[in-house]
Amino acid sequence: MSHYIVIFVAGIAGSFHCIGMCGGFACALGVDPAGKIATLYRHLLYNTGRVTTYMFMGGLAGMAGQSLILSDSMSSKLPTDIWHHHSTLANFVTILPETLSTGQRILAVFAGLLMLIMALQLFGYLQRLHILTTGLGSNTLVSSLRALLNSRSRSATLAFGVFNGFLPCPLVYAFIAYAAASANIFSGMITMASFGVGTFPAMILIGGLGQFINHHWRKRAVWVAGLFIMLLGLITILRGLFPLTGH
Amino acid sequence: MKNSLEKFCSHCLLPLGSYPTKRIVNGEDHSFCCYGCCLAYQVKHGSREEPEAAWLLVRLGIGGFLSMNIMLFSLLLYSGTFDVADSEMLPKFYWLLGIFATPVLFILGGPFIKESWEGALQGRLNSATLISIGAISAYGYSMLMLFTGGKNIYFDTATMILVLFTLGRYLEASGRAKAVRNVAPLLEAERQWATVIENGKEKRSSISKMKVGMNVRIRPGERFPVDGIVLEGFSSADESILTGENRPVIKSEGDLVLAGSINQKGSLLIECGALGAATQWGLLCKSVREALSHPSSIQRLADNVASIFVPIVLAITILTIIYWQSQVPLDQALLNGLAVLVVACPCALGLAAPLATALGLGQYIQRGCIIRGGEVQETLAKIRRIAFDKTGTLTKGATRLIKIENNDASQEEVLQRAAGLEQHSEHSLAQGIISVAKDRKLIIKNPERVQAVAGSGVMGYIEGELTAVGRSEWLIEQGLEMPSLFVKKLQNYESSGQTVVCVGWSGKIHGILLLDDMLLPEVPIMVETLKKLDMQTILLTGDLPAVASRIAKSAGVEEWKASMSPDEKCNFLEQWGGIEDPAIMVGDGLNDGPVLARAEVGIAVGSATDLARETADLVLPEKGLALLPWVILLSRAVHRTIITNLLWAFGYNIVAITLAVFGLLQPILAAGLMAGSSLLVVFNSLRLEQFPDNPADLAQVKSFISG
Repeated sequence: MSHYIVIFVAGIAGSFHCIGMCGGFACALGVDPAGKIATLYRHLLYNTGRVTTYMFMGGLAGMAGQSLILSDSMSSKLPTDIWHHHSTLANFVTILPETLSTGQRILAVFAGLLMLIMALQLFGYLQRLHILTTGLGSNTLVSSLRALLNSRSRSATLAFGVFNGFLPCPLVYAFIAYAAASANIFSGMITMASFGVGTFPAMILIGGLGQFINHHWRKRAVWVAGLFIMLLGLITILRGLFPLTGH
Repeated sequence: MKNSLEKFCSHCLLPLGSYPTKRIVNGEDHSFCCYGCCLAYQVKHGSREEPEAAWLLVRLGIGGFLSMNIMLFSLLLYSGTFDVADSEMLPKFYWLLGIFATPVLFILGGPFIKESWEGALQGRLNSATLISIGAISAYGYSMLMLFTGGKNIYFDTATMILVLFTLGRYLEASGRAKAVRNVAPLLEAERQWATVIENGKEKRSSISKMKVGMNVRIRPGERFPVDGIVLEGFSSADESILTGENRPVIKSEGDLVLAGSINQKGSLLIECGALGAATQWGLLCKSVREALSHPSSIQRLADNVASIFVPIVLAITILTIIYWQSQVPLDQALLNGLAVLVVACPCALGLAAPLATALGLGQYIQRGCIIRGGEVQETLAKIRRIAFDKTGTLTKGATRLIKIENNDASQEEVLQRAAGLEQHSEHSLAQGIISVAKDRKLIIKNPERVQAVAGSGVMGYIEGELTAVGRSEWLIEQGLEMPSLFVKKLQNYESSGQTVVCVGWSGKIHGILLLDDMLLPEVPIMVETLKKLDMQTILLTGDLPAVASRIAKSAGVEEWKASMSPDEKCNFLEQWGGIEDPAIMVGDGLNDGPVLARAEVGIAVGSATDLARETADLVLPEKGLALLPWVILLSRAVHRTIITNLLWAFGYNIVAITLAVFGLLQPILAAGLMAGSSLLVVFNSLRLEQFPDNPADLAQVKSFISG
C-alpha cells in the first residue's frame, strides 16, 4: 500500500511539471461565472476525466505486463488477493509478487530503465528523446483540445480532461512503465490513480488562481519529482535483478 | 466551376466517392468522403460560435470516458479481482456497465448507424455497416444476457469498437489533411477572395465577381488572387508555386505580379490584369484538379475490390458463426463472428492509392512541375526508356555565332549584311547572328525587296546589290560563286556537325558564318544520373546526323537518330521498345507537340509553348531539365508507396480475417488493429513528405527509395 503513497507524493511534486503544459489548459478552462463551487466542480470534472484516462492506461499497462508474464511461465501464480499481498509494511517497495519469473524480472528491469530515462528527462537531459515522445500525434490532440475549449458545456470539460490525459508527458510514461511492471490490472490502475490524484491539488489550484507559482519553485519541485521517479525506477530495476526471496 | 470543386472532400481534398457525406459548416455546403473527414474538418474550421465542432469532440470524449470505465471494470471482472467480493454484487456491476454503455451506443454509434442506414436505403453496404452491425449485436446480446441473468456481458466490446473506430477515423482524417497540405491552396483558387477598392472604399469580393481593371489591395502574407500590375507600394513575392524557384522576387510600381504567388513584405495596390482561368495559376489549379480526379488503374482496381469486400465479409461472418456455434457456446461463436466483422474493413484499401498519389502531386507542385494525374505517375515509375528532342531541350535552342570566315570583304561587312537579312527570317539561327552584330555595335544594313525561302535562306537588295544568306547549295543555285578557299573549310565544318551559313553578294560568296547550338550545362550530369537509374537514352532530332552525333556524344546520350520528321519520331517511339517497354519523350514542344502527345509519357520543358503544355503529360518548370531524374525517382517512390500500402491493406485483411475466423482474435483487439491499419497506410504515405528535395543528391534519394 505504502508505495502508492510514494507515487501519490511523486504525483504532487510532479504536478509542478504539469503546470507547464496541462496547467496552461487548466488555466484556459478558467473560472466559472456561476461561482466558486461551480468553478471547483468544473475543475473536478476536468481532473476526473484526466485521471480516468491515466487509470485506463495504467490498467492496460498492467494487463500487458500480466499477459507477458503469463505467456512466459504459466507456473507462476498471479496473486488474486492484491490487498492482502501488499498490505504488510515489510513490502514497502514491493510491487512484484514474491516468486519472480524470468519474464517478470526482465519486465521490471525494462520498466525501471524507462523510468530512469524519464527522470533524466525531467532533469533536463535527453531533450532529443523528449521531442520523440511528444511529437507523436500530439498536433491533432492539441488542436482537438483547443476546439474543446470553445465549448462551455459541462460535458465538454469532462471530455477535455479525457483528451488531456493522452497528452504525451514523460511523467505519465514513467508511471505507466511502473504500472506495467506491477504486472496486474488492478495495481496498474491504482498506480496511475495514485499518481493522478497526487496531481489534483496543484491542478485545481492553478485552475483557480492562474500562474501563481514562482518559476524557481516549480523547477525545484520538478527536480524532486524526478528524484522520486529515479528512486522508484532504481528499486524496480533492483527488484528485477536481485529478487528478494523468503522475505 | 463550382461543380468541379464539389467533387472533392472539403477536408482531405481527395476525390469524393459516389455517396459523399454532406454537411453545412459555417453556413456553406460541404461534402466529405467519410465521417472522419467530416469530424476533423468541423473541428478545424468550425467557428467559435458554432457548437457542433466541439460537440463532436465532446461526444468522443464522453464516449471515451464511459468506455474506459466500462473497460476497466470489465478487465477487473475478467481478471477475477472481484471474485472475492460478494457474488450478490456482480449482477449490480453488470447493470452499471449496461447503464454506461447505452449512451455510448447513441453518442458514438449514431453516426455509423446513420451512415449505414443511408447506405442501405441506396442499396449498398459499406464499412459503417460492418461497424454498426458489430456494435449493435454486441450491445444487444449483452442486454439480453442482463435481462435473462446470463453472465456473458460484452459491453466493453460494444463500446470499445465504437471508440476505436471513431478515434481511428478522426486521426486518419487529420493525417490525410496533412498529406494534401501542399495541394490544398491549389484547389482554393476559385474560392479566393480579394480586397477590391471601389469608389475609394475597400470591400471583400469573391474572385468570381471580379473584372479586369479593378484595383485590388494585397496585404503582406496574402496570396495574389489575380494577375496584375503594381500601381502602388513596394514588396517582394514568393513565386515558387509557379516557377519552382524559392528566391523572392522584388515587386514595385509597374511590375507584373502573378496570381498564386504570395506577397511577402509590404502592402501592394495592383490593377487586375487577368483572373481565373486566364492566369497561369488558374490553369495550374485546373490541372491539379484533373490530376486528382483521374484515378490510376491500380486505384480503380483497389476501389473495385473494396466495393465487393463488405458483402464477402458479411458472408464469412455468418459462416464463422454457424461453424463455431456447433463447437463452442453460442456467445463465444458470436464473439468470433464479431471479430471477423470488425477486423475486416476496407478503409485502408480505398486509401492506399489516392493518398500516396496526392502526396506525390504535392511534391511535384512544390518544385514547379505539373503532372497530368495518377496514371502518369504510375507509368513514369515503370518506364525504362527515355528519348530527347535536341533543340531547346538538350541545347539552348538559341544558336551562338562562333566563327566568321571572310574572303574579299571585312568580317564587319559580312556580319552587317547577314544581320540585315536575318532580321526578316524566323529561323532559329537568325537571332544568334543579329545579336553578335549588335554586340559589336555594327550598323545593320537594311535590305529591300526581301524574299525568304523556307529551309534555304533569305535574299534581298542591300545597297543595290543582291545579297543572300543561307545554305551553301542554295546560294550556289542563286548564281553565287563559291571561292576555292572556302570549299575545303566548308566540308570540314559540315562533317563535324556544325551549322554553316554562307553570305554572298555581287556574284560571289564572301563569308561563312559558323554557328553552334550550345548544350545546356546541366545536361551531362542529368543524363549520367538517368543512366544510373537504368534508363536507356536516345536523341531524336530533325537535324543533320553530324549534329546529332556531336550533341549526343557531349551529352552522354547512348544513341541518336537524325533527320527525323515529327511523324518519324512518333513511329520510332512506338516501335523502339514496343508496347511492353514504352518510352518517355522529352521536348520543348515547339515542333514536337504531336510527338509529346503520342508518346507514352510526354514531358515538356519549362519554356514550353502552350501547345506543349496542353499535350504533355508532365511539364517541367523553366530551366528544370535537371529535375528529370528527381521526377522519375519520385514517381518510383510514389509507386512503391502505393504498392506497399496495398500489400499491407490486402495482406493485413487476409491474415486478420483468417485469425478471426479461427477464433484467435478478440473483437476489441480486432477493432484496434483495424483502426490502426488505416493509420499505418496514412503514416506510410506521409513518409513521402520526407522525399529528398535536392535532386542532385542521388545517394540520398536512392537511400530513401531503398530504405
